[in-house]
Amino acid sequence: MNSYGKAAIGIMTTFFIIIFSTVLMPMVLFNPKPNGRGNDYSVVSAGDPHRGRQIFVREGCFYCHSQFTRLQDRGYGPLVRAGDYVYETPHQLGTARTGPDLTNEGGRMSSEWQKAHLINPRALKPGSIMPSFSYLSDRDMNDLVSYIQTLGNMRKPTKFVQAPDEYLTTTDNGRALLARKTVDTNASASANAGRGIYTQNCAVCHGLEGWGNGPNAITLEKKPANFSRPFYKQYPDEFWFYRISEGVPGTRMPRFGEVLSEEQRWYLVSYIKTLPKDKEVVIDSIDQLNKLQPVKLPVLTDQQYEPHTGG
Amino acid sequence: MAGQELTGNQAIGTQDGLFDNLLNNPVAASLFSDQEGSASRNFFLSALFWSLLGMGAGLFAAAEFAMPDLVHNVPQLAMPHLRMWHVNAVAIGWLSMGYVASMFHMVPTLCKTRLWSERLGNFTMWVWNILMVSAFCTLLNGNTEGREYAEFGAVLDVIVVVGLITVALNIYMTLLNRKVKKLYVSLWYFLGSLFWFPLVYIIGQRTFVALPGLNDAIVGWFYGHNILGMWFTTVGVGMMYYLLPRLTQAPLYSHGLSMLGFWGIALFYAPTGTHHILQSPAPEWLKAIAVISSIFLLVPVLTVLTNFFMTMRGKWGMVVTDLPLRFAVTSSIFYLMTCIQGPFQATRWVNWYLHFSQWVVGHAHLALLGTFSFILTSSFYYSIPRLTGKEWHSQGLIRAHYWLKTLGFLLMLVSLTIAGLIQAAGWAFGVPIDQWSLQIRPYWFLREISGVMILLAQCIFAYNTYKTLYTPVPAEAMAGQAKPVGVKA
Repeated sequence: MNSYGKAAIGIMTTFFIIIFSTVLMPMVLFNPKPNGRGNDYSVVSAGDPHRGRQIFVREGCFYCHSQFTRLQDRGYGPLVRAGDYVYETPHQLGTARTGPDLTNEGGRMSSEWQKAHLINPRALKPGSIMPSFSYLSDRDMNDLVSYIQTLGNMRKPTKFVQAPDEYLTTTDNGRALLARKTVDTNASASANAGRGIYTQNCAVCHGLEGWGNGPNAITLEKKPANFSRPFYKQYPDEFWFYRISEGVPGTRMPRFGEVLSEEQRWYLVSYIKTLPKDKEVVIDSIDQLNKLQPVKLPVLTDQQYEPHTGG
Repeated sequence: MAGQELTGNQAIGTQDGLFDNLLNNPVAASLFSDQEGSASRNFFLSALFWSLLGMGAGLFAAAEFAMPDLVHNVPQLAMPHLRMWHVNAVAIGWLSMGYVASMFHMVPTLCKTRLWSERLGNFTMWVWNILMVSAFCTLLNGNTEGREYAEFGAVLDVIVVVGLITVALNIYMTLLNRKVKKLYVSLWYFLGSLFWFPLVYIIGQRTFVALPGLNDAIVGWFYGHNILGMWFTTVGVGMMYYLLPRLTQAPLYSHGLSMLGFWGIALFYAPTGTHHILQSPAPEWLKAIAVISSIFLLVPVLTVLTNFFMTMRGKWGMVVTDLPLRFAVTSSIFYLMTCIQGPFQATRWVNWYLHFSQWVVGHAHLALLGTFSFILTSSFYYSIPRLTGKEWHSQGLIRAHYWLKTLGFLLMLVSLTIAGLIQAAGWAFGVPIDQWSLQIRPYWFLREISGVMILLAQCIFAYNTYKTLYTPVPAEAMAGQAKPVGVKA
């Protein structure tokens, strides 16, 4: 055999060894078993989540929305494991996040919100660059929304949004902070004490009732947070304290740590916690999902302007 | 000979008896011409056509990033659909068709023979164009398999495989007819690619199998990275090996180094795919293989580039006047940049920070637009006069093409990289997405401008080609202009 024959055999051998090690071996050795945490599309809801997944694929949502959470992602819910994806074919892991991660998106917003957001994203999220999917038929849109609402429905969060370490008992800083804390943030007296501080410092943007509709809001491109959203009801005290102290990067929310004393900030925390929860429909369990009303397009009002997702 | 064509009894010769029976009527004969160089030329022109549509779609999608309310209620113009078409049109239409065109020109030249069958080549050309028309109709309507880089539906997948196999057959048979003994390194790359890529394509499509999600992703990224590693890179580097010595009239610096580079790419490129899902729950050992081989890729890349740059010794000044050479040299410099970026961002630390951001989009364009589109353009400018015997209509338009495309591309790279760094900082520090997304809007506009420059450059290119090929030239001016196809393998 001449040297080119040997070379050809070399090329083929190399290639098949590589295929063996990186394509065939994973097929054999890597067989994650379903662990009951994958998305459950069989739950009965307003639409058909199976068909919704096909719409998700057809509309190419995965080009901008990933479906795996990473250790460093804050506020995107439970971390995924290998067994979560057994029934996900074709995979929708995604490669870029031009938009938010959707791993645990289900129940984060109401179905009405999701549908209105598909039709006119910028009415609900000013400044968003998400394309409008207003061309989808009503059936397609309902199915897509019901698919989105099932994402992560079997992954129960074990812990919620957390403040950075220097606010937690895991560090000396955090321990010292909590040792200095004299305010009982669950007492109505502290909330009463916080009311005045809120009115003087916060209401001008966040509104008297915390709906994010204070007079200044109209001038802000990034709308102030609407504290009536259920999302904010999961904030622990330390997280509120952190946000108040350090502000929110990229927005007009200032660092009140520079202005208010620690005691005043804790009073503020106790007051914000008492702000009423909106009557939005939010699904965070399968039971609730079963009771979900058929998707209806809501009337858009200023109160549905959506603040940042926090976390 | 009648009836013997497909039995394999026919001797391998310069082979255009293959379709003769089928092609007695003149229309068919002109569609499947057996004129020397016609398959290569037709492939080049088709590639140019699809590049306009592909890059146009990219520009339109970029416009929708900058102005999201530009179009409403037209599903065919929705950003995700445009993106599918953009990626497939530039990868399968522009780059791959141009690559086949270049191989159809370079392989016979290096073998000092004719292409085995021009008719088969033209047949492949029509198959490939039908593929692109079907892709245009299906992808823009969202008719996709939902797998990145493997969006084509089942029928289209089969057409691609038919196209690739006929190209491989044609090239391998040409090789068997060769009149030279030793194979030049470009041929190694071309032949290797034509063996690897059809297999990679077949393995990677997953059209007829349903793998569990993560395994689907592992195979998907094996394919997604190897369409680059076993096709765009290997053919592109082969073209550089052909063009640089040709254009500079200098011998290749080292054949030993070129072989080292070839085997290095063959060994280290294929297992790198999993670095695209480094932070997913894929198996750790597979991630380790991917990261290690990504870093090892520096070896063949630097070998190849040392070879190129040493070949250019004392010839750098030629890029002032020799425009195809200028495209080729620019391409190799972008290749250096992209291949320094690649291993760097495949390591876990850097990937932890940069993944999911527009930095990666910039990197992808650096490879496919900066490197491989430039080398293909160089090959286009080099080959068309040799295939048709016509000189380029205007050198000025080539210069305009070069500067618009280079500056436009640099603007795109810079804006995407900055946007990517802002995004990456946002993810790493937990800044909510709708806050950092406001900060990167200026860069969407910059990218949009860069897209306009690049598409304008491509239109100038197409206009120049049109004027060159379809403007009648006085007969006496033509005489003696056809360049002899010299061989120096």
